[in-house]
Amino acid sequence: MSILDYHYGDSYVHRMDPRVKMILLVLLTIVVFIISNFYVLVTMFALVLLVWKTAKLPMKNIVRYMKFLLSLVAFLIVLQGLFFSSGDNPVILMHPIIPDVVPVIGGHGTIYLDGILFGLVLGLRLLTLVCIMPIFTMTTTISETALGLVKLGMNYKYAYMTTTALNLIPTLQEETKMIMDAQKMRGFKAFETGKLMEKLRAYVTLVVPLVVGSMRRAQLMGVAMEGRAFGAMKTRTYREDLNLRTRDIVCGVFVMLLCIGVVYFNIRLGGWY
Amino acid sequence: MGTIIEAKEFSYSYPRRDNQVLKNLNFKVEEGEFIAIMGRNGAGKSTLTQAFNGVIPHLHGGTIWGNILVDGVCSQETEITEMAQKVGVVLEDPEAQLFTTRVDDEMAFGIENLCLPREEIIERIKWATKVVRLEGFWDREPTALSGGQKQRCAIAATLAMKPKIMVLDEPTSQLDPIGTFEVFDVIKSLKEEYGMTVMVATHKSEHIAEYADRIMVLEAGEIVAFDTPQVIFRNSELLSHVAVRPPQVSALAAYLNSMGQNIKRSDYPLLIEEAEVVIRNLIGGASNGQ
Repeated sequence: MSILDYHYGDSYVHRMDPRVKMILLVLLTIVVFIISNFYVLVTMFALVLLVWKTAKLPMKNIVRYMKFLLSLVAFLIVLQGLFFSSGDNPVILMHPIIPDVVPVIGGHGTIYLDGILFGLVLGLRLLTLVCIMPIFTMTTTISETALGLVKLGMNYKYAYMTTTALNLIPTLQEETKMIMDAQKMRGFKAFETGKLMEKLRAYVTLVVPLVVGSMRRAQLMGVAMEGRAFGAMKTRTYREDLNLRTRDIVCGVFVMLLCIGVVYFNIRLGGWY
Repeated sequence: MGTIIEAKEFSYSYPRRDNQVLKNLNFKVEEGEFIAIMGRNGAGKSTLTQAFNGVIPHLHGGTIWGNILVDGVCSQETEITEMAQKVGVVLEDPEAQLFTTRVDDEMAFGIENLCLPREEIIERIKWATKVVRLEGFWDREPTALSGGQKQRCAIAATLAMKPKIMVLDEPTSQLDPIGTFEVFDVIKSLKEEYGMTVMVATHKSEHIAEYADRIMVLEAGEIVAFDTPQVIFRNSELLSHVAVRPPQVSALAAYLNSMGQNIKRSDYPLLIEEAEVVIRNLIGGASNGQ
């Protein structure tokens, strides 16, 4: 099971009309990009966590995303803390960090509190973004996604192309792991213990079978799809129909209002914190 | 009952290759027949199965000579998507041909492409599920099924389009014995209960001996024999020449013969039950002789 795979369940989020989910996904992504205030962002992240809870998605995934982003966020905080340059009058936490006794560079270097907070905001923004996408992919089947896109006015061939690409990500992740395991089992250690150049070279041995395998798979899939009359007609019918229920509209409107409120507070509070 | 597939001097070569992988094929298949296509790896079995619905040459390119008429339509001049309504093709790899996330979505995919009304789609999925015995699996993920179930799911997905002909390319080569049995059981019912024409490329001689009406033996792209299992599986010289394994009981009879026993070639057993009779006779004959 990969992190983007459909997560079987029967929560309200699962049953929600995919069109509404799609629109909300885009809306939330934009809002998260707009938000710059730390507290507003924390609130937003808490709301996203609440949706995870409602959809009964595994919380341990979020821990995995956090671990994945940790080094990047740490790097951002250090970088911003040392070289923060925007803002009129940044709050200084420590100055200078290099004591005066050191020759030449002594008396220089500043740690900005604003910079650290800005780094945190960037990190939290990334984490929130990373957590929003799976709420859609893990609660919506491929056919629902495709149907949603078609009902939103997309040509069904493009809709299928999109959903197939989405579906390909977890497949590729799985395949990568399989190839690496197979290589490890035959004593190939470059990924763990090799030097930088060895590691780079090792990626060639990973990418080649991965690409070749994907091409072969894609071709077979094409044969299978054409063999089942994909593209025979201008339109196609669907076994399942979408019906926009009142509560989906209510929920959608509610989230939209929430987003407006969040943006409003962000403007009112202003700044990073 | 009439002729449903007819090949006339059909030859094919892949693009950028000189050699013909299928050479001058001439054959007829009657409606409702169960045909097995056998031969060693690389003899042209898969290529032939893909010629029936036009994947060859439409998707793979290459050069064709002659033609194959399927239900009165030339498969080389008709779009694959149109041929799909006449010929259903199940591929060897159970993974690559399943591309949705639910079993019922998988079955619905083909019929949705045909623009059928929703009620009809649901009706046909129910029917196809019953034929392949996958009731209760609708909300499962195809990748989480067993090998035999995956292949049955692929059969149902094709079957739901109600083609007249089902073509299966080594459907059991990646399956365990139980999966193989399940799949052949379903294939048998396609012919016997639903009167479909079935063509299977396979190496599974035991199952073929039981179910097939005729066996087409391919060797280096040519048809070297096209006859009933009784004729083909008793011809041990031909079989060893084309590297096709006879059913174990037929091989046993041939072996016993080479060891000095006297079993008439026309008595070579194909099924276990037949073998029992032959061996009982042998033992009985021996004890009578003493």
